[in-house]
Amino acid sequence: MTGRRTLLKGMAGAVPTGLIGASTQFVNAAIPEAGGRDYFAELGLRPFINAAGAYSAYGGARMRPEVVQAMRFAASQKVRVRELHDAVGARVAELVGSEAAMVTSGATASIVLGTAACMTRGDEARMRQLPDTTGIPNEVIIQKKHRNTYDRALIVPGARLVEVQTEEDVHRAAGDRTAMMFFLLPTQRGDDIPAVRYREIAAELGIPTFCDAATTTPPATNVVEGAQAGFDLICYSGGKGLRGPYSAGLLIGRRDLVSFARRHGAPNDLSIGRGMKVSIEEYIGMLVALQTALGISEAADLAFKQGRFERIIEAIHDLPGVEVSTFVSGGHTSEMYLDINWDTNKIDLTREDFVQELRDNDPSIEIRLFAFSGGRIHLSATVMADGEDVIVGEAIRRILRAHS
Amino acid sequence: MKTNRRQFLSSLGAAAPVAGIVHSPAALGDDETLLSVSNDFADLGVKSFINAIGPYSSLGGAVMWPEVIDAMDYAIRHKIRMSDLQDAVGRRIAALLGTNAAMVTSGATGAIILGTAACMTGGNRERQERIPDTTGMPNEVLILKSQRYLYDRSIRAPGAVLVEVETEADIRAAVNERTAMMFYLQNRPSNLALTVEAYIRLAKEFVVPIFCDAATTIPPVSNIRRTAEMGFDLVCYSGGKGLRGPYSAGLLLGREDLVRHARGNGAPNHRAYGRSMKVAPEEYLGMMVAVEKSLQFDEAADFERQLELIEQMDASLSSLEGVISEIRTPDAEAREPYVEVRWDSSRYPIAVADVKQALRDGEPSVEVRALFLSDGQLHLTATMLKPGEAEIVTRRVREILLGSGVV
Repeated sequence: MTGRRTLLKGMAGAVPTGLIGASTQFVNAAIPEAGGRDYFAELGLRPFINAAGAYSAYGGARMRPEVVQAMRFAASQKVRVRELHDAVGARVAELVGSEAAMVTSGATASIVLGTAACMTRGDEARMRQLPDTTGIPNEVIIQKKHRNTYDRALIVPGARLVEVQTEEDVHRAAGDRTAMMFFLLPTQRGDDIPAVRYREIAAELGIPTFCDAATTTPPATNVVEGAQAGFDLICYSGGKGLRGPYSAGLLIGRRDLVSFARRHGAPNDLSIGRGMKVSIEEYIGMLVALQTALGISEAADLAFKQGRFERIIEAIHDLPGVEVSTFVSGGHTSEMYLDINWDTNKIDLTREDFVQELRDNDPSIEIRLFAFSGGRIHLSATVMADGEDVIVGEAIRRILRAHS
Repeated sequence: MKTNRRQFLSSLGAAAPVAGIVHSPAALGDDETLLSVSNDFADLGVKSFINAIGPYSSLGGAVMWPEVIDAMDYAIRHKIRMSDLQDAVGRRIAALLGTNAAMVTSGATGAIILGTAACMTGGNRERQERIPDTTGMPNEVLILKSQRYLYDRSIRAPGAVLVEVETEADIRAAVNERTAMMFYLQNRPSNLALTVEAYIRLAKEFVVPIFCDAATTIPPVSNIRRTAEMGFDLVCYSGGKGLRGPYSAGLLLGREDLVRHARGNGAPNHRAYGRSMKVAPEEYLGMMVAVEKSLQFDEAADFERQLELIEQMDASLSSLEGVISEIRTPDAEAREPYVEVRWDSSRYPIAVADVKQALRDGEPSVEVRALFLSDGQLHLTATMLKPGEAEIVTRRVREILLGSGVV
């Protein structure tokens, strides 16, 4: 209550006299001519070399040329969105061997729409009612070890999380109010109930399972494997390991649940998801990204990344005290990283300062976040463009030598 | 199916230009490249159609300016930190449109959702991470009863509750500490019980933020300025319609603090309500260029182009005995001329809905306005028509009407 008043007071002070039209200029001038414009320079923005990975905050993946081309085509095509969704959904399902599939505005949207689908099961009155879940099953069972930053998406359509640790917990928690059982792949803390057993219990109880496998690519074949693993719904990021459009993702699974999820989403106006728009070019781009990624062998993909890293290794391997090597992450994804380490007796530079110096470099360079690398220096090759590997190698050599 | 897929890909590959983008605004018409693209869509099982209805979301929105596609191409190639891009593009759009602040959203609906969320949560992080659970925060949104419409559904998405009001007395009685926002739908209907000026004045008196959905009021683009000056705290627009920007983009304009809070509720913030409403870097930049292009565009000339096609369709249809067609040029909403077509049902025994369906099912397929969007009448618009398509549309309407009496 007081919060409300404080909020109002705070806002009152900020109300400009001229309201939102405060600045009276209606700038119609100073719009540069098109053609070869350097937009980021105009905006005073410094582009950077992404040796960090396909984080959303860094603009996601670098789409493969096939994807960009397909999007360029689709950008000027007008089709009935519903027909497009039918056709692309069918094609994706066929590619991964699932009953049904849809393109969403990202893995988070897949979670929101999938959860909404499991709660309302196509009941229109209930769909209209969300996120008010009065009288609607809205409990999502989640293993305590699977709690993560992104599980926030589960409560967006009005669900409530019920944490479990043991099979007994699941049986105790399951009831009329249960809408879905959520599973996270992979987990940093493991599973108390492994996936196979979790699905068996869900099947016994007649509760749909949802698997968040957003980050489990590359390789793209993991999508095929995941789609056939037996979860009722499974989701993937489009703009990360699959190198598809930034604001696209996949929701794959049972025909009935995917059709319910679609009715919650754009361009339908029935439910909560009309804000999660996916353009025609993103729909097509996502399909082509998946097709292309499935057409490239894991070995070829890793060889490509190894090639990028070789140029960096070449640039710095001879520096005294420096150890540099590539490795492929284990577990559910197989992503290649470059690990750089140095003897701080020979090179007087902390890892934090190294990251800052790369960031301050011209051009600015970002590397994998410490939160993901366990505090080590890791570089990713997946977003770097042609030639950027050479620039990165030179920059790292210069920085390390300056502290030798 | 396997062969189809390969054909789809290989034809994409073969027909794709190596550099640059296929520029195909409606006015440029057809060329070989476009032809092969439509074949690709046909291969996918997606039928192309003539659009005599307008840039609706369900039909893919408007045709983007070629410069927008150029900018999107640029943003795909150059990587930028999203927050830097959002800051810079927001400032630029605000300067171009003369508002305090601006952000690009995932469409007008995304703007309504984030704007409502902003008014409920303010900058309170805990609240931003908790909605749609609005326990302990203001969540009531006042809406004029006569302005209830299809898309007010989105106001409730982040957990708000709609409170209907009609008169000043209603508003005075309804405003309390749970009031988060007052909502206004620009220009609809035009004959309100309470004037918009009075409505805005009450919002100011109670210090309640007032949000205006002006999604469909462009063209003319000058409406943005006019609406901004009326005194709303937040205003939203569709990006992929009148402004001819990216399909899944929109604009939220307004007070700096509220736009900042709307961004706090949006992507790519990890625990934001709106993380699912992602806007790609290319959509962000593309939207900026769409605003620039729209400001430079000669709307009067385009209106004349449309009117010419409308007159042509009107002449063709009114020459048919028992058909009354009329040219309408509304100025309340988006200034889009259209032909309204009526017919003597004893001569042509076919319902409007059946004409719409027959046009859709025909060859080539044609989409027209009918039913709730047009008050049950058949409307033909020219915004999206390419050269030569007006003749096809009227020919198809004539064929269907003339065939309707034949048993």
